[in-house]
Amino acid sequence: MVGETLRNLLMIAWLLPLAGFAVEIFGGFWGSRKSRVAAWMSVGCIATGFFCSLSALLIWGSSNNFWKVPHETDHHADAGHAEPDHAVADHPADSHDSHDSHDSHDSHDSHDSHDSHDSHDSHDSHDSHEPPVVLGQTVYSGTLYYLARFGSLDISLDYYIDSLTLVMFTMVTFIATCIHVFAMGYMSEELTEELVDHSAHLSNGHHVHRPGRYYRFFAFLSLFCFSMLGLVLAGNIFQVFIFWELVGICSYLLIGFYTERKAACNAANKAFVMNRVGDFGFLIGLMVLWTFFGTFRFGETLNDKGEVVQAGLFQMLPRDETGNVLRDAESGDVKIGVVTAAVEPGGTRTIPYSLLVVAGLGVFAGCVGKSAQFPLQTWLPDAMEGPTPVSALVHSATMVAAGVYLVGRFYPMFVQEVLLTIAYVGCITLFMAATIAIVATDIKKVLAYSTISQLGYMMLGLGVFGWGAGLFHLITHAFFKSLMFLCSGSVIYGCHHEQEMPKMGGLWRKMPITAFTMLVGVIAISGLAVPGLISLSSVFAFSGFFSKDAVVATSLAFVKGNPSHFLLFIVPLVTAGITAFYMFRLWFYTFAGKPRDQHIYDHCHESPWIMTGPLLALSFFAAFCAIGGEEGPLYRLITGDQPAHVAHGIAAPLGSGELTLPGHEAIHAVHGTAGTLALIAAASGTFIAWLLYGTTLVNVAEIKRQLSGLHGFLANKWHFDELYDGLFMKPSHVVGSCCVWIDKTIFDGIIHASAEVMIFISKWDKLFDEAVVDGFVNLLGDSTFAVGRSLRVIQTGRLRQYVMFIVVGVVALFAILFTTFPG
Amino acid sequence: MLFPQLLDKLITETTSLSLPGFSVELCLSATIVAMLMMRLVNLDRLVPASVTAVLGAFAALVFTWLQFRQIGAADAIVSQKIFTGLLIHDTFTVFFRAFLSLFLLLTIALTSLTGIPDNEDGPDFYSLLFGATIGLMIMASANSLLMLFVGVEMASVPSYAMVGFLKGRKPSSEAALKFVVYGAGAAGVMLYGISLIAGVLGTADMSLLADRLGAAAAGGSGGLSDPELRAVSLGILLVMVGLAFKLSLVPFHFWCPDAFEGASAEVAGFLSVASKAGAFGLLVRFALALSGAPGTESLMIAFGVGIGFIACVTTTFGNLAAYSQTNLKRLLAYSTIAHAGYMVMAVSALLVMSNSVNAAAMQVDINHSVEGLLYYLFVYLFMNLGAFAVVAIARNHTFSEEVDSFKGLVSQSPTLCIVMLICMFSLVGMPPFGGFVGKLMIFASAFKAGDVHWFMYVVVAFGALNTVFSLVYYIRVLKTMFMDVRPVDARPVPVHLGSLESIYVVALAAFVFLLGVLPQFLSATAGAAAQSLAKF
Repeated sequence: MVGETLRNLLMIAWLLPLAGFAVEIFGGFWGSRKSRVAAWMSVGCIATGFFCSLSALLIWGSSNNFWKVPHETDHHADAGHAEPDHAVADHPADSHDSHDSHDSHDSHDSHDSHDSHDSHDSHDSHDSHEPPVVLGQTVYSGTLYYLARFGSLDISLDYYIDSLTLVMFTMVTFIATCIHVFAMGYMSEELTEELVDHSAHLSNGHHVHRPGRYYRFFAFLSLFCFSMLGLVLAGNIFQVFIFWELVGICSYLLIGFYTERKAACNAANKAFVMNRVGDFGFLIGLMVLWTFFGTFRFGETLNDKGEVVQAGLFQMLPRDETGNVLRDAESGDVKIGVVTAAVEPGGTRTIPYSLLVVAGLGVFAGCVGKSAQFPLQTWLPDAMEGPTPVSALVHSATMVAAGVYLVGRFYPMFVQEVLLTIAYVGCITLFMAATIAIVATDIKKVLAYSTISQLGYMMLGLGVFGWGAGLFHLITHAFFKSLMFLCSGSVIYGCHHEQEMPKMGGLWRKMPITAFTMLVGVIAISGLAVPGLISLSSVFAFSGFFSKDAVVATSLAFVKGNPSHFLLFIVPLVTAGITAFYMFRLWFYTFAGKPRDQHIYDHCHESPWIMTGPLLALSFFAAFCAIGGEEGPLYRLITGDQPAHVAHGIAAPLGSGELTLPGHEAIHAVHGTAGTLALIAAASGTFIAWLLYGTTLVNVAEIKRQLSGLHGFLANKWHFDELYDGLFMKPSHVVGSCCVWIDKTIFDGIIHASAEVMIFISKWDKLFDEAVVDGFVNLLGDSTFAVGRSLRVIQTGRLRQYVMFIVVGVVALFAILFTTFPG
Repeated sequence: MLFPQLLDKLITETTSLSLPGFSVELCLSATIVAMLMMRLVNLDRLVPASVTAVLGAFAALVFTWLQFRQIGAADAIVSQKIFTGLLIHDTFTVFFRAFLSLFLLLTIALTSLTGIPDNEDGPDFYSLLFGATIGLMIMASANSLLMLFVGVEMASVPSYAMVGFLKGRKPSSEAALKFVVYGAGAAGVMLYGISLIAGVLGTADMSLLADRLGAAAAGGSGGLSDPELRAVSLGILLVMVGLAFKLSLVPFHFWCPDAFEGASAEVAGFLSVASKAGAFGLLVRFALALSGAPGTESLMIAFGVGIGFIACVTTTFGNLAAYSQTNLKRLLAYSTIAHAGYMVMAVSALLVMSNSVNAAAMQVDINHSVEGLLYYLFVYLFMNLGAFAVVAIARNHTFSEEVDSFKGLVSQSPTLCIVMLICMFSLVGMPPFGGFVGKLMIFASAFKAGDVHWFMYVVVAFGALNTVFSLVYYIRVLKTMFMDVRPVDARPVPVHLGSLESIYVVALAAFVFLLGVLPQFLSATAGAAAQSLAKF
């Protein structure tokens, strides 16, 4: 029953934006350009979606007695954030409920809501001396709609609802609602029959005049929301891929919203192409998965009687009691668990370990593209050409986080080689992007690099076995980053589309709400905290502190287990300082000090309530959503259904050369150390930023001149664009020009030669044609025409002759009959 | 049998059998009376004659429909003689009634669209039209040589008057006069033929002709040296000449171009389609009535081949003579002659196959030849009426029917031009239009008849060759309409897509197209009509 309710609520939240899109895009096209109806409809759809998601979350919590947890902080701190015991007792009843409901279903969703718990039982019993860690017991999965069947492959729309799904749904719909409301104000200049786009020029130097596209913007936003929610709800990896591409196309449409601007077009293309590079890997991963596992579904497939027909992907990979993937002793291959009862009764399949790595890396490649990780990160800063609400929704809070989400969702399928790759990719990304953010002057570009960097943190967290930490950071980051993007939007709106920070300064006097909410976001992302404010054992901090702390602590624990990978701790720690530095630099640059451009300052104004309202709402969540840290409700919600092997970590067999992956206990042991170090880094970063940009003590220009080499290197984004230009663009140009040369000289030569031969032949043919064939045809035509003309002569028009012809005709016919027919 | 009993039987038969079968004709007659009576009391000023005519034609169509829907149904019409054997009521008759009443309705619609005749002359004109239609229906259902003649005359006499209906126009009157005189000559010839047949064979009942002919031929040589056969052959020839006049077959076509040029396009359309259809119905009945008599097979095959020969000459003549025509109506008149030639090929095939030694085995092919003829007639109705309608509509604006007045018409009335294009391509016999299917069916049956007599292959060859010939003059008209530049001083023809005229012609063109792409519906019905004539 619970599963059914959750499914229905989430389906409403998911499909409403699609309906909204359909109505808006057509209604808007035929409707008035000055109408706000599309926006209200869009907001209505997503806000309803938010309430549905929130109710679903609450229902999920009540059904698992989540809200009644007594806060025995100390006990749970020791137990490593385990779920409360009574959830186990709750489980059978819940399971019973959902199986009963099968009878009332039609065949399509007969696989509704069942609990996948099989693979965890042995694990729990093994660790019976500890408080039972109840994991993955509240997963509801099933099929919504069958799309097609190819052989034994079902392509279907499934759902897979666990606590992560619910949290993501609630987060996405809430932030989207805020951003929709904000965009109603931000995009209001589109409410016109004729809009002059000052950033787009025609070839004659004039500005582009075009009708406003208010409705279209909101239609695209709605389509995006539908795609994003579908991605989160997806119950099989192929469906994820479908919605993956759908969010991709929405991103393309929204980045290129100002199609008349060349930069926007290029950015949209760049984002699209870069993502395709990653998706190529994704496809390879899908092929490997299908070939060896034979299913795309995450959860089990049940028949009408509730029996397991086919195991889901997550149940197939066998792990031993410590969480290591079971491998064949001799070949090193992995035996996949019971594939299906129906197709291969009791049979197993074998996948080479290397291909398991390939599958994981392939799926991760898709995530690299989507989440703008090294080496596919260059599209995200360019994507800032889109309207700012798009940057806030698509390119900071939701779509780019989809890569991280997928890594988290697909976690059970990753082996440790893949995890290490993820960690290093995240590590490189977070450092590189942070350094570039130091020198960026465009307010949105700073935020874009910051986004890349924070996504790197998330990947790193997931890579070093901090499943909860990475996703925790995803949620908190979504709040404070969308907040900051909206603030930057407010600034840009207030400053009449000025984005360069060196032209701003002192704006807090003009736009206090924006400045204040931005400050909240900056503190949150920087990870500043005041230790011991409430009690000795806790700290008072905004959300970013807790989540970043969790990531850094996990990496420290990881490095302790695997000392050779020490960079995975050092780099994020240093970058925590850099993060604080560039974020405060942004704030000081924009809001503090003296106005640098008096003209802009004079004309700038605070944004209307429709824009500042969402800022305040978001700033509240940016500050307090992670309250309680890893004992707080948000973290426990996220990790409610975490993968089975995460909690205890994986101890490497001695001398195997394999990685030791830290469990919750190991992480908790170093939590204090890591937190302190991170706080010191953040504080020093903040201090330096204040020193450089908050005061006039240091001449920043002088420093810039001194370090011009480094500055140039960073300002040119580590020369990645040039590198790709040299690596891919130039060679393809060379190949292209070679092809052109071959085409022009060789193929064209052959064609021209043959053409000349043809012309020569045709000349003779023409002669023949004109003289002989035409002559014959003309002769024929002339003669028939002559006959026709002569026939006209018979038709004299004289009545006497006509009557005579009757007589002549009859006599002639009878004569013919008489003479030809034998007597 | 006593006289009162005989009278009773006659009355019973008439009321219970003959009159219901004759309901369509009665309905048309009633309409004529109504129209004429309404004028007496000046009611026609209140209700225009065209409205009455449309209502009457529609009622006739409904009556026909009541009979028509039985075709192919379980309670199919049984072939039965009515009016003491003067007429025959079978599926074939009903098919022609449906054809003629539909055509009548379409013609009335066209005349009320184009305004010929005016309101004053309406009752006269429509009475003539209805009368001619009744005559045509009688032709198609005649079972007696007497009714054959009555029907032909009943169809012809109103036609003469309709050709001369534009009283003020000299060419019109001249054309009518020529038509009358020529028609009178032909009628005389035919009447002589009828008297020869009836005299020698001793009956006018067409259903008895074959048996009597067989009896006359029995014991003789089966050739023309037999005096009885010789007289009958002459009679058949003369009757066929009379029908050839109605069908405007060469060399009895001379009236046709002159009459068409003199008559209005609407009347020309009626003459070219309806009177041909009636004549074909009669020709098929007449040909079948004489077929199958033992001892005369070779003679009848000779007649069939002769008709085939006439068909070849007619199509070739019609097509070639159309080349140098400058008047579009006259051009269409020659086109009509050529098409009569195509259609008569089917009759030729029918006659040849019906008299072959294994006629029973060829019954399916015989049916196909009649089916092809009926299908072609139906397509011909739409495509020819479409062409004449375009001419009539354009004439109302340009006051001219010369080909030159259509120069560059596409720039002003694309709808008319495209309809003309569809109709003309269909007339040529290009797929996917109905003309192609009809031609294919006729040529196929003629080809099949080639198994019986080699000359039918020649007929098919001529048919194919003439299709090429006909292309030239149709395309020339289309080229004038589409590719020439409209002269500056030409009168504008503003016929827009939404106007009634456009809807009318577009509907006709749509039928031409539909008959080309979905032939099975009509061909099934035509097949059922053909089956009702089957002897085996």
